[in-house]
Amino acid sequence: MTLFMAIVIGVLFTVSIYLMMGRELKEVCIGFFLLSHAANLTIVEAGRLPHGMFAPVLGEGNALEVLADPLPQALVLTAIVIGFAVQGFLLTLLVVMWRRTGTLETSELATMPEEHTVEPDHALPSAVAETGEAH
Amino acid sequence: MNAQLIILAIAIPMATGVLSLITELRMGMRRLIGYAGLTLNLLVALGILCTVVGQDRILVLQAADWPAPFGISLVVDGFSAIMLMAAALVLLATYAYCDEQLRDTAGGLFYPLFHLLALGVQWSLVTGDLFNLFVAFEIMLMSSYALLVLGTSRGQMRQAYKYVLLNLLASMVLVTSCGLIYGHVGTLNFADLARLSHSGAIPSSAVPAICLLLLAFGVKSALFPAWFWLPDSYPTVPAGLGAVLGGLLTKVGAYVLIRVFVMVFGPWDSAVGETVRPLLLTTAAFTMFLGVLGAVSMNSVRKILSVHIISQVGYMVLAAGLALGIGLTTDTRELAITGGIYFIVHNMIVKTSLFLCGGLMCRYAGSDSLDHMGSLAKKAPWLGVLFMLAALSLAGLPPTSGFFGKLVLLREAMHGGYYLLAAVAIMTSVLTLLSMVKIWSYAFWNRARPAPAAGTGHPEKHPLKVTKAMAATALLVVASLALGLGAEPSVRAAHQAARNVIEPSAYIDAVLGPQQIHPLRLVDAAAKEEMAP
Repeated sequence: MTLFMAIVIGVLFTVSIYLMMGRELKEVCIGFFLLSHAANLTIVEAGRLPHGMFAPVLGEGNALEVLADPLPQALVLTAIVIGFAVQGFLLTLLVVMWRRTGTLETSELATMPEEHTVEPDHALPSAVAETGEAH
Repeated sequence: MNAQLIILAIAIPMATGVLSLITELRMGMRRLIGYAGLTLNLLVALGILCTVVGQDRILVLQAADWPAPFGISLVVDGFSAIMLMAAALVLLATYAYCDEQLRDTAGGLFYPLFHLLALGVQWSLVTGDLFNLFVAFEIMLMSSYALLVLGTSRGQMRQAYKYVLLNLLASMVLVTSCGLIYGHVGTLNFADLARLSHSGAIPSSAVPAICLLLLAFGVKSALFPAWFWLPDSYPTVPAGLGAVLGGLLTKVGAYVLIRVFVMVFGPWDSAVGETVRPLLLTTAAFTMFLGVLGAVSMNSVRKILSVHIISQVGYMVLAAGLALGIGLTTDTRELAITGGIYFIVHNMIVKTSLFLCGGLMCRYAGSDSLDHMGSLAKKAPWLGVLFMLAALSLAGLPPTSGFFGKLVLLREAMHGGYYLLAAVAIMTSVLTLLSMVKIWSYAFWNRARPAPAAGTGHPEKHPLKVTKAMAATALLVVASLALGLGAEPSVRAAHQAARNVIEPSAYIDAVLGPQQIHPLRLVDAAAKEEMAP
């Protein structure tokens, strides 16, 4: 089981790093989503798989060695929740980016004319309506 | 009783953030809530500083009273207390600077985001374990991502993805290495890890996982190979936001770097110390020097200041590297960290005030580019005074605060025999002065040249309130001057904090209590008991 999980994690990391090296930001984002899954699996795996173990509830007559360590589960739960929020933010960012610049290609973004990049302080267009739609 | 103060450092920004999220409240009300929260926050930070540094104590709060390695510990030692104080000051000043200017940007979303950023920063400073550090970092970074694209101008949208994606990658590395370290060592509590590391009990299989942390923190504090996100993203935001991002985030990264690699996984001859020392020292040299070269080549105020952040972080990493140097005396190590702590605080304050000055200069000149600025010495003499003081402090001329930080660091680098690094640091200082003089002569002394196109087309809806903005900037400049003129007590406080970083037995005892048990060992003991009938 551990070997299998190790291979799965390895494949996930490889695929996600490969995707993140792409030029298209959509690919990069999917790469990031996979990366967060790989990281979460690593936590569960490194904290020893609870395979064949019991929930750590005292007073049920189970010996301590067969009780699973609850901490990695707690950690991974937190990490998953944070990952969700980040993914939501990333997708929103992509939508707004596409509306503002018309492209999600990194090379095109880099060669785009600078016109409004450095604006004086007061020149902030308020774009709440559009960001609102994107949610 | 005093330990309860720690929770306030988290609870106040959280409550303020949530309250200012209520969109039904009038804008003026939300602004006032922000002021109240940040002022209270500053008072709490002051209270913590007095208790911790004044009485040389370490405050520990075990959440829900779970004993140390099992529960969540919040710990404030001298280093955290000093950082908290500086952060609270910077937050209040930048808020006062830009609260009215940004009120309508994205429907007032600026307010909750700003307070949540404060929450993330302060939580990272008081946390006592690695996983909570990750959570705090995420809160801090999520708010910073949102602040960075606030207003969603085209320039921001073009550049923001680099910052967002690179920092997300770093977060994933951080959480992966948290998992691996837990698997190998069985604990993520700073005090527990420090105890194991200082007694040489960290298994060598955990060392690669721990060194992965360097990558995560390196990206967050913009160290040499991973700094390219910074010059592109920070200059795109309004000066007030640039100030709070540039003044706080990379410094929190540097704080964590020192905390984790010097205190938790020290001492210098531990396996981790041996591995990261050459990396830290090399990256410090490159970060300092390449950062300042980049700054000299830039041509707008905000870009110069943003790139400078990088070179300044180099000095902080230098302190961490020196503290792990081969065969140095404990005194030298302590003084290196003293210099590091003093320098971080100085840099938080000075960098923020320079960014704020930059925003005001832009307001006066109508453009951020040095080619279109000029005659500011006549137009805004007091702004000139503020900028001059902050700029000299950044370059490190006596008697400003920058001088003392660099003095202590350089002296210890020479004591330790790292002459090359000392030379690089001095060169960096000279080039820093050069780029500050460049801004000064172009913006303040040269005659004004008209901007090519009149304005950028956006009418000023809420221009920067000059008087209030000047007052906020002046507050920070005065704080930096006080730090420089009162160098004796402030260096002493930093030294006291540094002693605990190099020799963390007081920290360990305060967190773990007298009887120190280890999770794995507890299971072993229980198993043995069970086997022996």
